Amino acid sequence: MVKKSSMSAVAMLLIFCMVILTACGGSTPGNNKGSGGTNKGGDDGNKKYKIATVVKLTGVAWFDRMEEGVKEFGKTTGHDTFMQGPQKADAALQVQIIEDLIAQKVDAITVVPFSAEALEPVLKKARDKGIVVITHEADGMVNTDFNIEAFDNLEYGAFLMDNLAKAMGEEGEYMTTVGSLTTKSHMQWEEGAYNRQQEKYPNMKAVARKLETNDDQKVASEKLRETFKAFPNLKGFQGASGNDAAGAALAIEESGLIGKVNVVGTSVPSVSQKYLESGAMSMIGFWDPAEAAKAMNTIAVKVLEGKAGDIKEGFDLGVPGYNKLIVKDGKYLYGAAWVGVTKENVTDYDF
Amino acid sequence: MRKWTKTSEFYVAIIILVLFVAIGSQNGAFFSSANMFDLIRSSIVPGIFVICTMMVIISGGIDVSFPAIATFSMFSATKIILMLDLDLPVFVAFLLAGIIGLGLGLINGLLIAYFKLPTLIVTLGTSSMFSGFLLTFVGSRQISNLPPALEQFGKTPFIKFTTDAGITVGLPMSVLITAAVIVIVAIMMKYTMIGRGIYALGGDPVSAERIGFNTKFLQCFVYGFVGFLAGIAGMIQTTMMRSSNPVDLLGTELLIIAAVVLGGVRITGGHGTVIGALLGLLLIVTIQNSLILVGIPSYWQRFVIGALILVGTGVAAYQIKRSSSKRSSILT
Repeated sequence: MVKKSSMSAVAMLLIFCMVILTACGGSTPGNNKGSGGTNKGGDDGNKKYKIATVVKLTGVAWFDRMEEGVKEFGKTTGHDTFMQGPQKADAALQVQIIEDLIAQKVDAITVVPFSAEALEPVLKKARDKGIVVITHEADGMVNTDFNIEAFDNLEYGAFLMDNLAKAMGEEGEYMTTVGSLTTKSHMQWEEGAYNRQQEKYPNMKAVARKLETNDDQKVASEKLRETFKAFPNLKGFQGASGNDAAGAALAIEESGLIGKVNVVGTSVPSVSQKYLESGAMSMIGFWDPAEAAKAMNTIAVKVLEGKAGDIKEGFDLGVPGYNKLIVKDGKYLYGAAWVGVTKENVTDYDF
Repeated sequence: MRKWTKTSEFYVAIIILVLFVAIGSQNGAFFSSANMFDLIRSSIVPGIFVICTMMVIISGGIDVSFPAIATFSMFSATKIILMLDLDLPVFVAFLLAGIIGLGLGLINGLLIAYFKLPTLIVTLGTSSMFSGFLLTFVGSRQISNLPPALEQFGKTPFIKFTTDAGITVGLPMSVLITAAVIVIVAIMMKYTMIGRGIYALGGDPVSAERIGFNTKFLQCFVYGFVGFLAGIAGMIQTTMMRSSNPVDLLGTELLIIAAVVLGGVRITGGHGTVIGALLGLLLIVTIQNSLILVGIPSYWQRFVIGALILVGTGVAAYQIKRSSSKRSSILT
């Protein structure tokens, strides 16, 4: 009996392997065709590179939009570009994906880290193997050729705070959330916002800071409800993760608090449109992830072509919002690519 | 009387009472109607998950794939309904999600019953497969504009009133679904042959077979039924969030399992009650939703949640150790 069942288990495994192998076999000719095409492109004199983009999470509108930018960059330049990311926001899974890419011997990896610290060792390994590493949203990352930010994070946080202050009439209690306490960019936006409030809006008060939402709309929604109970005079909410503002707005709509609590945060128009129109959200800020992807890939190609020295203060990447780079400490680059969207102009964006 | 005070449900209930008093004394807002309703609201989806996990653990297995099944079912069902572009009643959406979940659950059940593979391995594998398949072939983009019937269902309150402070407090209709699931499963586990069979199977599969239970059928039933319930829970999540996100819910399994184990359901199988599982959930939901009220800073909230998982799974590990040492003592 035992033997029989273990035999059938082995048989099943075999079948499983065969299915996977045939699936791989099926896709190999396609890949060959693909690389054949790029080789022909190489005859023009430019070498074509394989550049992978690794994101925090797949399946969210934000990174879907980034994938559009990755694909468009590949199409217009002829480089082999593609995007990968874990199905849940987890630093360990991101490390795994990068390990796989190192094994595949890609030319460059551009990455949006979930947790900068967790990725340092694996990115060091990638660079040791001669792979060019470009990071995004990871200011201060050590093991990277260049880190590009759409903007200076503290400035962006201050920009969001200015909008929150405007919505709140420059007075009252507010709360802030971040996706995770280890997400550097979220923490810096929050820091920038808090500093701006301390400087310019003395009548405002942060009652709960840096609550973690795990990039989850439901959690963000629950945090707002709970904070409102603890601080019934709450007037403002600033969310860092792409899902925070939408979750808070949902709770505000359901609790009948529209007009009482004002929400600003990072989000994308497709998710926020209904809340901006209902008034549950005052304003959202974001940068176009597609442009960020193009900027990362452009820098990767520059480095691969040995032109890293060109990238200096004021350099123009030829990508909107990244026309006059600010450079700090040689490898930390900043654009000025933020966009603020309110009820009035939300229909101008389709992602 | 002595027997009653010896149950783990009793101890969990006492811990919850102490917790309520402790939080309430820190912040009176805890006992407000708004907070009580928010606690129930936060338990609607996890409530069904806890019931699912309880059934699986009682049957002697463990299931970590239910969030993936829920997400798969809700997202594909939403997508199918949007594609058909018919104004279907909301009942169809729930049924569709349930059937998709049933199918996925049966995959688990068949692998476990007929190939005798360890349940943790099977569900770990299928969890990743379901999620990967969903994102690759069905779609990876969050759906923000739901079919009108679903959107409407999400907005329809079951109870709704405005407090003195001007806050609208309410519960969505879906709370009724969770309540129905709890009652049905409680009756099934206690009064039907299938329920008895599930306990017997978890207690000792060989004895269960000897006394005439079809263990293969029972296992398929458990995983299929759990898949069905997970699909429905997923659909509830969609209507509550008014959007369908293919990466939602993933990663919630650890806290759910911790809740069930804290509620006195033995990880070794064969023992546990619906009440216990629900008490375990209440404990976890209360802690999760009261850290701001008590004024615990953000960094510490992480610590507390981590400690909860550790205690929940620690209790489970202790149970295994104790039961295996007992077993070997019988043999020698």
